[in-house]
Parts: sequence; C-alpha cells; structure tokens
Amino acid sequence: MQSRVFLLAIEYDSSVKRVSTGSTVLRRLFVGSLLLVSATILVAIVAASVGPFTVPFTHTVSTLLDLIGIGESIAKPTEQAIIQSIRLPRIFLAFIVGAALGISGGIMQGLFRNSMADPGIIGVSSGGATGAVVAIASGASTISTLFLPLFAFIGSAVSMIVVFLIASAGGRFSMATLLLGGIAVSSFLGAITTATIILTDDLNVQRQIIFWIAGGFDTARWESVRIAAPIIGFGVLIAIFVARDLNLLLVSEDEARALGVRVTMVRNTLLVSASLITGAAVAFSGIIAFVGLVIPHVVRLVVGADHRVLLPLSALGGGLFLLIADTAARVVLSPAELRVGVLTALIGAPFFIFLLVRSRARLL
Amino acid sequence: MTLLLNRDGVLRIETSIDSGTSVADSATADGAAANTGVLRVENLTTELDGKIIVDSVSLSVDRGEVVGVVGANGSGKTTLLRTVAGLVDRTSGDVVVDGVSFGTARSGVGSLRRERARMLAYMPQLAESHPFTAFESVLMGRYPHLGRFELEGPNDRELAWQAMERTSTVEFADRKLDTLSGGERQRVVLARVLVQQADVLLMDEPTASLDLRHQMLTMDLVREEVSERNAGAIVILHDLSLAARYCDRLVVLHRGKKLAEGTPWEVLTPGNLRTAFGIEGLVEPDPVTGKPHVLLLGSENSEHQDLIGTGRTVHLICGAGSGRELMHQLRVAGYEVTAGVLGTGDSDREAAERLGLRYVSAPPFSGITDEQHSAHMELMSSADHVVLCAMAVGMNNVRNVAAASSATDLIVIEPSVREGDSEVETDTGVADFTDGIATELRRSLIEKFGEIPESTLLFELARSVSDTFSGGADVVD
Repeated sequence: MQSRVFLLAIEYDSSVKRVSTGSTVLRRLFVGSLLLVSATILVAIVAASVGPFTVPFTHTVSTLLDLIGIGESIAKPTEQAIIQSIRLPRIFLAFIVGAALGISGGIMQGLFRNSMADPGIIGVSSGGATGAVVAIASGASTISTLFLPLFAFIGSAVSMIVVFLIASAGGRFSMATLLLGGIAVSSFLGAITTATIILTDDLNVQRQIIFWIAGGFDTARWESVRIAAPIIGFGVLIAIFVARDLNLLLVSEDEARALGVRVTMVRNTLLVSASLITGAAVAFSGIIAFVGLVIPHVVRLVVGADHRVLLPLSALGGGLFLLIADTAARVVLSPAELRVGVLTALIGAPFFIFLLVRSRARLL
Repeated sequence: MTLLLNRDGVLRIETSIDSGTSVADSATADGAAANTGVLRVENLTTELDGKIIVDSVSLSVDRGEVVGVVGANGSGKTTLLRTVAGLVDRTSGDVVVDGVSFGTARSGVGSLRRERARMLAYMPQLAESHPFTAFESVLMGRYPHLGRFELEGPNDRELAWQAMERTSTVEFADRKLDTLSGGERQRVVLARVLVQQADVLLMDEPTASLDLRHQMLTMDLVREEVSERNAGAIVILHDLSLAARYCDRLVVLHRGKKLAEGTPWEVLTPGNLRTAFGIEGLVEPDPVTGKPHVLLLGSENSEHQDLIGTGRTVHLICGAGSGRELMHQLRVAGYEVTAGVLGTGDSDREAAERLGLRYVSAPPFSGITDEQHSAHMELMSSADHVVLCAMAVGMNNVRNVAAASSATDLIVIEPSVREGDSEVETDTGVADFTDGIATELRRSLIEKFGEIPESTLLFELARSVSDTFSGGADVVD
C-alpha cells in the first residue's frame, strides 16, 4: 500500500511538554482515604465525648481502644455504658447513612450526567417516607421498633420498582422517563404523606411523622447498625466494582458500548444498588437533605470525575459530614436536640449556593 | 477524459484511468478481489422502527486500506457504521472481523465484548462533552485491554501520551472535556480511538468539526495508523474531494443501498453525484495529487420544467475568458449553451469543453476558415438568442464579430472594466488588434442593438422569454 498522501502533510507538534495530569487513581484514592478516615476517627472521639453528659477525651480514647482490644479502659462504668450503648451506635449509624447518601448521590449524578441529581431522584426517599407514614399512622411502629424501618424500606423498594416500570414502558428503557417518572411518583407520594398529616386527629402521630421526615439518629441502636451496615456495605462494594464502567457510561452510552461495556447491566446494577442503599439509609434515619447532593459535588471538585476515586471518597466524605452534622445537632441546642436533617439543609444549602456562585464567577 | 452532454442535459464523464494518477487505486482494487479482508460485511440489513435504513449492503476492508463511505444525509451511512460497530441490532446479514463472526456489542458476555472492542474501534460523529480530563478520556481507550480490577499501568499511560502527541492534544491534557471546543474534543476522541489499537477503525465524520489543517492532520493520521499497524478503516466523509484524496476505495450509499463501489475515479462520476447527492458536479484531476476533485456547479432541480432557460438555446460569441462565467450561469439556469468560434487553448474553449457545450473550435492564431465560419453561422441561427461578449478581437477571430453582424437579434455585453492601460484600448472599451476594423463593427452593433452589462443578461433573456408568451406569464418565478 503505497498510496499514503503526505504531499501536504503537516508534522504534528511534539514539542509541547507533557503536563502533569494529576496523580494516578491509586495515589488519589490512598491520600484521600487516609485524610478522611483520620478526620473521621478524630470527630468520632469528639462525638463520643460530648453531649449532655461530657466524658473526658482520655476516658473516651481508652474506652475505644479497650473495645478493639488494646489496653484497658480508665473510664467510669457509667461513661463506658453511655459511650458503648448510646453514642457509638449513633456514631456508626450516622457514618454509614452519610456514606450511603454520599455514594448513591455520586452514582445518580454519574448515571444522569447531571451534578444536580440526588439519591432520592427516582422516588426512593419519598417512597420511604410514605412507608414510614403508613407504619406510624397504622400503629405498626408501636408493635416493634423494627417495623418503622421495615415499612420505610418496603416503601422505597416499591416506589423504585414503580418508577422502573414506568421508564421501561413500551419495551425501551429511557433515562429521561426514569427521571420524570421519579419526579411524578415523588410528588404523588408527597401528597399522600401531607394528606395523612393533615387528616389525622392524633397529634402524637402528626408529631412523629414530622419528626421522622426531618431525619435524625436519636433512635439509633446497635440493632439498626447491624441491619443497615450489611445492606449499605454490599451496595457500596457493588458500586465500586463497576465504577470504571460508570466512567465510560458518563462519556457516552455508545462509546461505552463500543469499548465493550455491558451498558444495560451496569446501569441497572448501579440504579438498583444506589436505590437499595438509599432506601436502607432513609429507613433508619428519615429524610436527610443535601448530603447526597453536596458531598459528591465537593469531592469531584477536589479529586476529579473518575468514579473509581470519586465513589469511595464520596462515601467516606458523606459519612464524615453526617457525623459532624449529627454531633452538632446534638450539642448546639443542648440539652434539646436539633433534627440532623434540618441542620444539613441549613448548612448544606448555603454552602451549595456558595459553590454555584463561585463556579459561575469562574466561568464569566 | 472526455465530457459529454447527453440528451437529458446530464453531464457525463467518460474516464480512462491514466496510469499517472491511480496506480495505488488499481493496486487496491486487485487486493480487494483477493478477498483477504480484515473486515467483511455481508448483505447487511438494518431496520429502525420497522423502516429499512440499511438495505443489504456488502463491503470488505483489507488490511492497510481506507474505505470511504459517502452519501447524502439520511442515506444510511451512520446506521451502517453503527451496525458494523455492533451498536445497532442488524436485521440480517453478517459482520466478520478477521474471520470471526461477532454478535452485536449489545449481546454476549463481558470478555467477548472486550475482545470485540480490541478489534473494532468506533469514533462517533459527535464528541460528547463530559467532566473528565482529556488525558483521562484518552486513557479510557485502554478499557478493552484491561482486566476487571486492573489499573492503567505505565505502558497504557505512555500509549495515551503518544496518541495525544499525534493528535496535538497534549496542551490540553489536564483540561476537562466540557471546557474544550467541539474540534478539540473531536481530536481527543481520535486519540482515544488510536489508543484502543483496534484492527478496524470505524469513523463517523472524523473531520466534521475540524479546521482545514486538522482535517488533513486527522486523515494523515488515519492513513498512517492503517499502514503502520496494518489495520483497516471505514471512514464516513462529507467532503468528496477529501474522501477521494485519502481513501483507497469509496462506497456510495443512496437510500440505504449501495449505489456504487470502487476507486474514487470509478465512483465519483457526475451521474453518481446527481443520483446520490442531487448535485450537478464536475470531476477533474486535482492539480497536485491527481486524485479526483469535485467541482460543484449547482444543485440539481428535480423539475427541470421550472428552470427558466429550459428548452431555449443561447449562443455565445466569446473568447479569451470573456464567456466562461456566462456559460456556467446559463447552464445552471437551464439554458442550452453553444459557443463559437473558440481557438484551441483558449480558456473559454476549456470551459466549454468541461461543461460539455456544443461549440466550433479552431486552431490557435490561425484565423477562421470558411468551413468553421459556416458551422458557426449554423449554430447561431439555431439558437434562440445570440450574445456577443466583450472579448478582445484579433485578426484570427475578427470573423466572429462579422458573424455577429448577420444576426437579426443580438445582445451585446458591455466590458465590465474599462481600464486604459493598453495601447490597443478603444472607445468601446474592448481591446482591438485589427487596426480598428473590430471596433468599427462593434460600434455599429451597439448602435443597432444597444449594450447591457453582463450581470443583467439573465434578466434580459427572461424578459424576452416572457414577451414571447402573450399575456406575459409569470416566468421568472
């Protein structure tokens, strides 16, 4: 084949220096995790110490070390009991719920190619709220403390399945219909929740529903952690497993397919696992706004869009953030408690507005 | 190469491939016949929503070969490429890569899909915008070469850097794709395609949003890649001259069917241009590369009756480039055009030859013989209008002006620029090398018929047409 046409061939310019394009995936992941995990441990020590009953830091640290088998606690038995059975489960639950919201926010933003997407975008949160409302209004929640999260989780799952069926109508799956279906189902379920609050005569039921919707960890027990952790942990692992495929999916479905990605399988896996972990989070915490929206956004600004780094760090970042928020919610109005869902929105929304304004200012 | 005008007024080219221009082309054609193709597409049919978009198309690509696919919008080019890439389910037919018949990219287990992606690289028409950096997106081309949990190693990064150097995208390696222009994004996607190191490159308008320099750079790269790695490529292109220049073979699609296939010279004929694109075009050798170069004359009008000049003949008395422009304009307006008497080597004669006009020719500077003169008179008398162009007159062609004098109705074109730098400049503004004979003749003609600027000729002709119809029908529209 000698028909190469180089008559007017232009030599490409190889004089341009290769710039640094940031560190490798492993390095970013390692450094990010190290920072976030250390920060989380520090915050956890503070969180275990502060509250209506203050425990000295030294006592807290020695108690925690004792728990993982190092040394012996120097704390008083009351202090140990408070840390072990009241504060630690709450710390763990806040962290895993934050991690769940952070990672599923990152997944949804990737799948919908929109950094405005949040974990509840396909109706999972409002489904959970409706399930909780049913449990409270029917009195089921008084029978067993596990009925409330169970009903909420079932509500999440049912609304997710309904939205999925809407998006698959006519045999062809559409992300746009999924989004619109999610919005429609959310409004419908929201109306049911509001109607229940208005129509019920029992003021206690009303108060419980409003409390639950505002989100909080005041009912956290080791049992909640034991149920929520495996579900959320499983979802997080699955998501990290297909993180690289999500990268290609975000570039373009066609290109991902042409490069050998099993697009439908990856997308459905991610949608289901994100919804599953959001459902589990909502079931044990109520609705906590803005974590799933803000955290992946901030993490992306720092480490870039590669989901192999973004998703794990969004989980760690979400956990840390919610732990801080919950600790703050416990102490700012002490001995009264502010609902953590209220606090995240109070902090999250202005912070998000700040980010939006700053990125616009940079564009102009 | 000869140009003929057939009775439908369709321009035809009859080409004898001269050895100087297409050695490579004919060599390739021989290679294809040996059927050693790295990619074979057999009777491929694709339906979208029950409508047949690609209709039993067969083609093959050899190693080291670039095959261009051309055709109008909606002719099925993109769907053909996407079907071959496995992005669209085919209705029937087969796609065989290196002897292996693959299912589509929508089916099969992950490892088979990745194997497929190592053999076929697809470059989409539109380079999507996304939040990854250019370097990250180029590195993604390594996906089919990596295991499930394998991270990109130094080798992959080196390949990505090389591809970025070749596509001159290094300078924005760390910029996010959504901050780049369309053309820059397209080059990043090209780098990603190179990094994929596939056996067959499937490229959908890789030059669409590129400036001229990068169009050539891109096509040079495709050729380089194909010959160095012994790969094959199918490239969809809209610029026919670019396609002719860089492709070994071309396939013309028309309404989903293969209209023609072969070397650029075989395929780019005015007839095919007319059928596939609805354009009136001329094909001539590129003065530099010798490859076919497509000249556009105008868009083909499906209802010729509507053209103002249809069925009417205009005779041009011209020479030395004074009539070229009018020949084109009149042809596009649907007139049959004749000309005379034109000397060999005269630029008006070349234009008439290319356009396939009937004309009387004479050897250069030798004067017009009686025979030629009477042939000329005959052409004049059979024309509906006779036009005398503002041409320079010498002893050799003074008989043309004399012939004009015998016309019963004549349109005289006034010279566009009356510049007075020549000693033969006359008061009529036309150069005269005949000691005033030509000027005398021209002046008397202007007295008799008047003089109009070249730009108003078509209006003048249109008016005379409407005058011939009683009531002055709305012809101009």
